[in-house]
Amino acid sequence: MLGAWALLPPRGNEAKPTVRLGTDATTAEPIPPTVKHVIKFNPGPLYLPGIVRENSTKPTDGIARVGRAFEQLYPDTRIEFVGVAADAREWLVTQLVSGQAPDVIQINVEDVWQDVHKNWYVPIDKYLDAPNPFIPSGDPGSEKWWDVFKYPTPTRGTMAPDGKMYCVVLDMIETGIFYNKNIFDRLRLREPQTWEEFLALQQRIKHAGYTPMVVDRQCLADWAVDLLFEQLYGDMRELLDLDYDPRRGEYMHGYLDWHELIFLHEQGFFTPRDPRWQEVWRILKDWRPYLAKELNPHGSQLLLKNFVTQKAAMFWSHSMTVDRLLADPDRAFEFGIFYLPPITSSYSRFARGKQMCVIGGSAMQYSITSSAYRDTKNPDTSERLQRVVAFLQFLTTPQNCDIVVNEQIALLPNVKGVEPHPELQPFDDFLQRHYSMTKWLYTFDNQWNQVLMRMLELYLNDGIDRQRFLEIIEQDLERATDRIQKRKSIDTSQLQKVWNKRLPLLRERFAELPPAVVGTEE
Amino acid sequence: MTQTTTTPLSGPASSHATGATALIAPGLGYARGRQTLARRCADSLALYAILAPAFILLAIFSLVPFVIAISTSFFDYEVGGDATFIGLSNYLEYFHDYTFWKSFGNMFFLTGFHVVAVMIVPLAVAKLIFSLSSERASYLYRILFLFPIVVPNVALYLIWRGVMYNENGLVDRVVTTLGFSLPAQGWLSGPDTVLWAIAFIGFPFAGGINVLIYYAGLTSIPDSVHEAATIDGATGLRKFLLIDVPLVLSQMKLLVMLTIIGGIQAFEGIYILTNGQPGFESMVPGLWMYQNAFLFQRMGYACAIGVILFLLILALTVINLRYFRTSEQLQGDT
Repeated sequence: MLGAWALLPPRGNEAKPTVRLGTDATTAEPIPPTVKHVIKFNPGPLYLPGIVRENSTKPTDGIARVGRAFEQLYPDTRIEFVGVAADAREWLVTQLVSGQAPDVIQINVEDVWQDVHKNWYVPIDKYLDAPNPFIPSGDPGSEKWWDVFKYPTPTRGTMAPDGKMYCVVLDMIETGIFYNKNIFDRLRLREPQTWEEFLALQQRIKHAGYTPMVVDRQCLADWAVDLLFEQLYGDMRELLDLDYDPRRGEYMHGYLDWHELIFLHEQGFFTPRDPRWQEVWRILKDWRPYLAKELNPHGSQLLLKNFVTQKAAMFWSHSMTVDRLLADPDRAFEFGIFYLPPITSSYSRFARGKQMCVIGGSAMQYSITSSAYRDTKNPDTSERLQRVVAFLQFLTTPQNCDIVVNEQIALLPNVKGVEPHPELQPFDDFLQRHYSMTKWLYTFDNQWNQVLMRMLELYLNDGIDRQRFLEIIEQDLERATDRIQKRKSIDTSQLQKVWNKRLPLLRERFAELPPAVVGTEE
Repeated sequence: MTQTTTTPLSGPASSHATGATALIAPGLGYARGRQTLARRCADSLALYAILAPAFILLAIFSLVPFVIAISTSFFDYEVGGDATFIGLSNYLEYFHDYTFWKSFGNMFFLTGFHVVAVMIVPLAVAKLIFSLSSERASYLYRILFLFPIVVPNVALYLIWRGVMYNENGLVDRVVTTLGFSLPAQGWLSGPDTVLWAIAFIGFPFAGGINVLIYYAGLTSIPDSVHEAATIDGATGLRKFLLIDVPLVLSQMKLLVMLTIIGGIQAFEGIYILTNGQPGFESMVPGLWMYQNAFLFQRMGYACAIGVILFLLILALTVINLRYFRTSEQLQGDT
């Protein structure tokens, strides 16, 4: 009884309206009873109102301004901006399963793909094919919302393997190597053109007493593995992409989804017997001596600090680092940006010296959750869902995208007519390259991701040798395959037909294929 | 010598207990025998009514989830997805999990390390405080040793991480400043050093409530025991080992049990310090259970790990209760 009484809300609070969150507490105001829809929107850590970014003094408020403008158009709607916990995945799962998730969340689309069969997310294709009502007639997007996006191929690339779109891509991100021009000038170095030059350059930097390169462990497992994989398997991407869906656009041509990876693995690829697979890890290991001692330094701040304080000559990071570097009071040098150079055949017999692909692409990916149609429990009849979609359409008008994205020098606007900050131009150039063949770290599930990251670090730090590492990865790939098979009920019969046709070509055109592919494995 | 000093004293204590039971038990049995069942129920009703809310809350928040966890462990259940009955598959899979041997080895190492530490260090500190001649100084030291308890564990782990952490950590900074750059290393990121680095978190293991528990045990030893020991010629360390230690075995048993349970269940420290890395070198079953439940969404598998941990705790507790004798039992024996 006493416990139940203690849990009752204090008297007099029942009629009080809720207070909007995610905004500056000093400007928080009660929500009047006339408001019918309170839309909870998670804009991601970069745009959350009130966030003060590193080396900045000004709180972010671009998206809050856009939210207020939308509320003026729709007085019965309030946009409430909410943050998510640092380990967003755990938080989101609990929120999604209980129906308490924000209506719109910023989440990597690969995470969405894992859970689409649970109906946690709303496909938005029919809205993307329809006009964006906030765009004046004749402008891109006024006939089809799709047309407003400045980088259509990476945007289409976020389409799920089930052929549906689950997110709106507001902006783009890309990786690049930031380098200290002063150190480069002092050591008479120039931007490397090949992987061998890149290693030689790092050797010289190391001899000069600097840490050649700092990079986060997760980025290494994510970016480096995908880039090296594409360099070594890139020539056969046309043949390995057994299930290309033209709806996903040219950008995803040659991209390997989970069912293709699983099938190819079953045929003998990506095993310790696959020479190219071995080579990926060999190249990474050969690079390791030039990377910082600590690959997992509990956050990228320490990496950035090492670069800013000129202990490290290069920092492999992404476009969101630009404004942090520009504003850092400790930085006493000019910095430049270049992309990882290609691997030539003189360094690896499987490489052809072709330009490295890109691995970034879509940055803020806004997905609508099932919370958005909780008013009718039916997405086809929900007024609330219409309002949520309307806000996303409003957000992707040139004016509003400019307000939100260009508030910081971090990401490239993905709306036609909105130019990025000139400091981000190198990343705009990088984004014109072709896309990665796959995303090893995000293709399967979190368990696979964890094992890959952890074992890669252990391998690179001499905790296990390459053979043992490859065996563990093979075991885990098989386990991940089992889990995906269970979860997605993948039918590979269609892939088998295509494979049967392409196998002779593959054997004819490529040497050193896995023994099982060549047909020599016992 | 020990027997001559402890036997006369332990004898009356145990006979007193036996005597008290003998006085009460026959009376109760006699009264109960004459009561009808209905009468006995009516008499007890008020007691049951008072106990009921606590039991109901315990059932809702502890027992029911426990039963649900056991039943979930037999299902392939992904959060938000369908549950499929798979019998013992989760258990069998866990026994073949690549983290199984490593994580249990780590757990036993860390738990064993802390069991040894909790048996020695707080007892030695409590004895030193107990031996202080000044009551004021004794009080002050008791407060000082208890004081770290107010620091939240998360803050404590973060501080330790800062101390241990590689080139930027306090340990390596001190070592490097002293001119010994060779031993400086990533203590928490090195496969060979990570477990020892985690084990030493909390060094010198003397803070908190453990000292007070031993201190309370030491204060309950009658002065006459010490006087008798002194008369028999026992002094210093010999007196401590032969008189004090046997008489605080009850406290030691409690602390060992709590340390074992805590060691098997706890993972938040490792989660904050290393997240089980590098590789799975510092993984423990509790952390793997948590990651499976909330990171991988494999709730059935996580429940199976939880049930295995429960059975392990149960087994170790039974062994502890059965074979680790308390001071009272020891006195009874002698």
